[in-house]
Amino acid sequence: MSKNIAALARRKGLDDGLFERIREQKSHQQKQQIAKDFLVGDAIVQGSASFYDFIEGENAQKKAYVCNGSSCLCAGTQPQVLSGLLQHFHQDDIGHVACLGRCHENASFQISGENYSGDDIHQLDRILDQQAESGEDYAVVALCDNPILTAKITDTANYYQLIEHLITQQSRDQLLQSIIESGLRGRGGAGFPTGIKWKACADAIGDEKYIVCNADEGDPGAFSDRYLLERRPHAVLFGMYVAGYLVGARTGVLYIRDEYPDSIDLCEQAIEEFEQLKLSYSFRFKIVRGAGAYICGEETALLRSIEGQRPMVSTRPPFPVTEGLFGKPTALNNVETFASIHWILEHGAQAFNARGNRKSTGTKLLSLDSVFKHPGIYEVDMNTSLSKVIEAAGGFSKPVKALHIGGPLGGLVPVSKIDDLTIDFESFHEQGFLLGHASILGIPESMPLIEYMEHLFDFTAAESCGKCFPCRLGATRGKEMVRNAIDQKQALDSELLTDLLETMELGSLCALGGGVPLPIKNILQHFSDEVRPFFQLKNQSSIPVTEVH
Amino acid sequence: MARSEDQKSSQQVAFIDGQPYAIEAGETILQFARRLNKHIPTLCDDPRMEAYGSCRVCSVDVALTVDGPRKVVASCHTPIAEGMHIETENSRIQKLRRNIVELVLTDHPLDCLTCEVSGNCELQDVAAEVGIRQVRYAEGENHLHYPKDTSHPYMRSDLSKCINCYRCVRACDEIQGELVLSVAGRGFDSRIIKGMDTSFDDSPCVSCGACAQTCPTAAISDKFFSKSVEATDKVRTVCSYCGVGCNLEVSVKNNEILSIRAPNDAEVNAGHTCLKGRYAWRFYNHSDRLTQPLIRKNNQLIEATWDEAYDFIADKLISIKKQYGADAIAGISSARCTNEENYLMQKLMRVAIGTNNIDSCARVCHSPTAYGMQQSFGTGAATNSIKDIKITDFIMVIGANPTAAHPVTGAKIKQRLMKGCPSIVIDPVKTEVAKYATYHLQLRPGTNVAVLNMMAYYIIEADLVDQNFINSRTEGWQDYESAIRALDMDELSNICGVDKHLVREAAIAYAKAPTAMSFHGLGVTEHSQGSRTVMSIADLAMMTGNIGRPGVGVNPLRGQNNVQGAADMGCQPHQGAGYLPIDDPKNQAYYQKKYGVELPTNIGYKIPQMYQAAQEGKLKALWIMGEDVAQSDPNHHYVVDSLQKLEFLVVQEIFFSETAKLADVVLPGASFLEKSGTFTNGERRIQAVRAAVSPIGNTKVDGQIVIDVMNRLGVTQPDYDPAGLLEEISQVVPFFAGVKWAELGDNGKQWPVLEDGSDTDILHTETFKRGLGKFHYFDWEESNEIKSNSTSFPFILTTSRNLEHYNAGTMTRRTGNKDIVNEDILLIHPDDAHRKQINNHATVRIFSARGEVKLKAEISDKVKPGILYTTFHFPDDMVNAVTSSEADRETLCPEYKVVSVDLEQVA
Repeated sequence: MSKNIAALARRKGLDDGLFERIREQKSHQQKQQIAKDFLVGDAIVQGSASFYDFIEGENAQKKAYVCNGSSCLCAGTQPQVLSGLLQHFHQDDIGHVACLGRCHENASFQISGENYSGDDIHQLDRILDQQAESGEDYAVVALCDNPILTAKITDTANYYQLIEHLITQQSRDQLLQSIIESGLRGRGGAGFPTGIKWKACADAIGDEKYIVCNADEGDPGAFSDRYLLERRPHAVLFGMYVAGYLVGARTGVLYIRDEYPDSIDLCEQAIEEFEQLKLSYSFRFKIVRGAGAYICGEETALLRSIEGQRPMVSTRPPFPVTEGLFGKPTALNNVETFASIHWILEHGAQAFNARGNRKSTGTKLLSLDSVFKHPGIYEVDMNTSLSKVIEAAGGFSKPVKALHIGGPLGGLVPVSKIDDLTIDFESFHEQGFLLGHASILGIPESMPLIEYMEHLFDFTAAESCGKCFPCRLGATRGKEMVRNAIDQKQALDSELLTDLLETMELGSLCALGGGVPLPIKNILQHFSDEVRPFFQLKNQSSIPVTEVH
Repeated sequence: MARSEDQKSSQQVAFIDGQPYAIEAGETILQFARRLNKHIPTLCDDPRMEAYGSCRVCSVDVALTVDGPRKVVASCHTPIAEGMHIETENSRIQKLRRNIVELVLTDHPLDCLTCEVSGNCELQDVAAEVGIRQVRYAEGENHLHYPKDTSHPYMRSDLSKCINCYRCVRACDEIQGELVLSVAGRGFDSRIIKGMDTSFDDSPCVSCGACAQTCPTAAISDKFFSKSVEATDKVRTVCSYCGVGCNLEVSVKNNEILSIRAPNDAEVNAGHTCLKGRYAWRFYNHSDRLTQPLIRKNNQLIEATWDEAYDFIADKLISIKKQYGADAIAGISSARCTNEENYLMQKLMRVAIGTNNIDSCARVCHSPTAYGMQQSFGTGAATNSIKDIKITDFIMVIGANPTAAHPVTGAKIKQRLMKGCPSIVIDPVKTEVAKYATYHLQLRPGTNVAVLNMMAYYIIEADLVDQNFINSRTEGWQDYESAIRALDMDELSNICGVDKHLVREAAIAYAKAPTAMSFHGLGVTEHSQGSRTVMSIADLAMMTGNIGRPGVGVNPLRGQNNVQGAADMGCQPHQGAGYLPIDDPKNQAYYQKKYGVELPTNIGYKIPQMYQAAQEGKLKALWIMGEDVAQSDPNHHYVVDSLQKLEFLVVQEIFFSETAKLADVVLPGASFLEKSGTFTNGERRIQAVRAAVSPIGNTKVDGQIVIDVMNRLGVTQPDYDPAGLLEEISQVVPFFAGVKWAELGDNGKQWPVLEDGSDTDILHTETFKRGLGKFHYFDWEESNEIKSNSTSFPFILTTSRNLEHYNAGTMTRRTGNKDIVNEDILLIHPDDAHRKQINNHATVRIFSARGEVKLKAEISDKVKPGILYTTFHFPDDMVNAVTSSEADRETLCPEYKVVSVDLEQVA
């Protein structure tokens, strides 16, 4: 990260944001003008613009996009989508997008900024004639009493009255203490205690502070944040507002991925409604629209993105709570984390804490993809068994050999291990998996895992920010190794693959390069028979090559 | 209990490979290990920059307790913690490092043997250290096909060798502050770009070379292969361009210079320097170098031997002295030369000739600073050190363009400004620092005193003065305050053309800052009210208590490498070595005792008075050492005419300059690369200059030339030797008392240097040199130039320097810098261009009451309407043909900055 660029971008503030200017301007002259206006070099503007898929990346300016996310890949729907699109668009006008969050019905694609999925491809003519809209629908099921995240918000004004009232009854410290005592942990995947984070931000010294909502739900297979942003945006805004009040921030930024156009529209609408309420603590919201870069889901890369810098992962410390957005103290949390705040304040920390296993408290949203008979959003109490969820979802719609849980960097759970898992951070960790953001997608029997391995390396190579050596180089080399094995050019060398995975796991700067070895090692461990033929004979006996850390 | 806990907290330790060591607050594991001389390999770390964490080669194995769970972390960005157990070399770590470097080598050419940096390549070193035997990966995608970029006169890139460590990008950002480099794309295809993804030559690169210096491989380098190990010798010396005093490391082989780099451990420049210091050194053996003495015979300069030249000079000087008296002879010393040489030059004049007619180019630049600060504080030098830029709360830059004229200091200032350090820039031109400043007071040239008085008014009005400081440390406040209070802000605002509310806001911000540092340059001094402006700056510093502490002070940005030293050594007509006034009998006795002869007691000629005396026939002989007055002094035609009226002109030079062309004897001197001695930079730092090569051809070290003539004139002086001369100087110049050649070390010492060798980074901490600091009030006065000429010549031309060239350009024009900038350009506001029907890049004729020049015009909003701006580096353009003989009232420093002109486009 550059302190200079952050400070220079801060001069113009969020309303004339460097990133948004870069996002919108395309010509050479326009970019030079931006550099001049922000007192940064031309290279800074060009460097940022060229990072993003949809600004100057190879997928920029396409007329249609085909989803190539893990779920659509496993569902096998995309060849049909592509051939449908090819009847209307030239090959060169069709780009790729890594997950539109339509994993519950797959066959996802985007045209003119609108997302489609499921049967939509069959009525492409009508869609292009603007006679049809997407017929998307999914189940929203609370598998728990007294749902926290899926309960309806009927009266918006009344919903916010809770905090208006509490402000008059309790001190900031008391309210902060409630968040701490609730045991709420970050729902983005890392599981850091939210109250502790907010306390650190509240204690940090800064003339300005920020609340940032990480709504860059990039994990292919995940759409629970999209659900909250579109159907319960006030739960998110409420949480950010409370965070702002507690840490002393006046601005909340929602960084929403470009692939979720409806989320952006619906949040904008909710912000307008919020503004009508004219609450006592002056706080404003700003939506920053992503531009196609998975790494922006990493918190420091996300902050750099908002600043207009290349969204590269920053070293920590300093942590965002002390030096975050524009170098100022920043509380950055996931959508679902913010969405839990209202319930905690309404029902008390103890009530929240009582749900779950004491270490993982409250409830968790799960996004179930189309491999389930009843895909959709499921809310469960922490510590609910995975098999109960599968049962509630009606089981699988086709033969499945594994579940990929927690995004591309989450563990690959063989069906044999399903009964060993409960939905909480601890259980997954103990079994060598990762709860992550708790998306669950099924890997059908028909999906060769060697190809899924290539897909995982390919995804990492495509989305690596390129900063740390192990991820930048390792993901590409891994992809090549697997591809060579599939093409029977060169069989896998288990020692070299083990070295590569260990190098990425131990050496990478962030969870992308550091995380992708997990599902690959899961494959090697649990599906050694299936992948053995792709290894050199001399070391086939040494598969599985790995122990899980 | 409490006691043992205290002991524990005061002696926190961490363990490296089992051994306990005390830790220091705020350090990373890598810094901790380095402090203990424990080597940890790394590729992306440069200790001068923020930890970045990209290569991961510095990974170590860490446990929080001896048997606790172990974790691999990158040592460069992981803070050390009490009780940590660090293993730097276990098998897991060794394997990780080896595997990372193996990955790097999958996308790196394996042609070490023919590579420019072989033997000095960090990747090569680390690969050898971690023990790479082979690259096991099959050949895959790579970037070995990236083409080389050889577009630029100096900079080179070969990105096939890039390892994406981002050190160049960070150096361009964190060290130079230029943001010319970035990276395009992402992931595996990330690629270093220049500007809008163009070549070095087409990018706005300022060629500082910071990227080349930090690049661990040959991915970014320069034309001179500065990272090659071909050189057999490395000589550490000091740059001879501006007064920043950058340390240089000169690579030499067979008495020839191959390249120059900047030592990373230099206090002044920490591995940084500008394109002048790093790349503009090829003048030293340029074919234009004078290599033989020349004597004018039959109006032609003919090659002669040194003995012939010396005899001719001695005879002429003796006969002129005999016929007209010693005061018919004068000398101009050189701020480009060493302290020792300047000392000798003034000694030649005062002791061997017997006149105080000795001056130096400080006259035309910072004489008002020396004079003004002596009046206010008692010492005419920077009160603080450049390192204070890092800690100050407020920066004020007045009449200076430091990113061009003092690039390394300018970069340090810019770094603070970019990060939002509150700041004021007072300058008629929108300079680089002005773009980043909080307040830019873009005044009309010649109105500095008006703006500074306005600032004083608003500080007093807002009751933000430091009354304690004023009461205890200063005198003259009441008179000053009442004069300021009587001023009419609207009137002054009209005069200087700056909105009074903006001035008020800026003044209040300055006064409220806990510490505020001011810097000024020739935009302050080269005015008819130059000395008065300096004193007005001192007034602001004193009234806000910004003197005598870290991060405050009045800090002139000295223009030439040794202009501070030339004045320190006594190259001025009213003060001898060490600034003792020569008209005081006490000092006369002092010098007499030191030199063993009776010295002249009347104050000698300042440079402009020398021209005047030549015109009047009073001055017959002039000896100029290393200064091209014919090009650099104002009112060119008058200067040339004056020099021609002399009976005898000696010019000691390295090139056949405009001045040398007029000489009767030309003596070929040596450049800084060929001599040893000391330079004193703008923060009073006396640093050792060491000869990298011997003087070329038949040239001599300038100090030796002066000594040879002194000896012929009957004054015995041993051969030139910095150690011996410094010893003599330390006995004459009080603030050099403890300066010894052998003790200067790599980073020199800041004067005053006490007898015990201790030096001084901040002046006036307890008392001022003059006792109390003195307030001086001055009315703003319009320059005579405007009063006399603005009706006929309604534009104001102001001149300055650019980054690429240095003063008269004698040196820089004979280097690759000429391929970057090869002419002086006139900046004109769009409104004026429209009104005068001048097209962008058209040739315009600029004319004043003195003369005219033709320049290429560039339409620019860097100047306000009515103001024109140019540089004065090129003799073909001879900008000083139009400048005037107006000068600072107190010191006769020429008023370069306010010239009444008019202009028209040449058909």
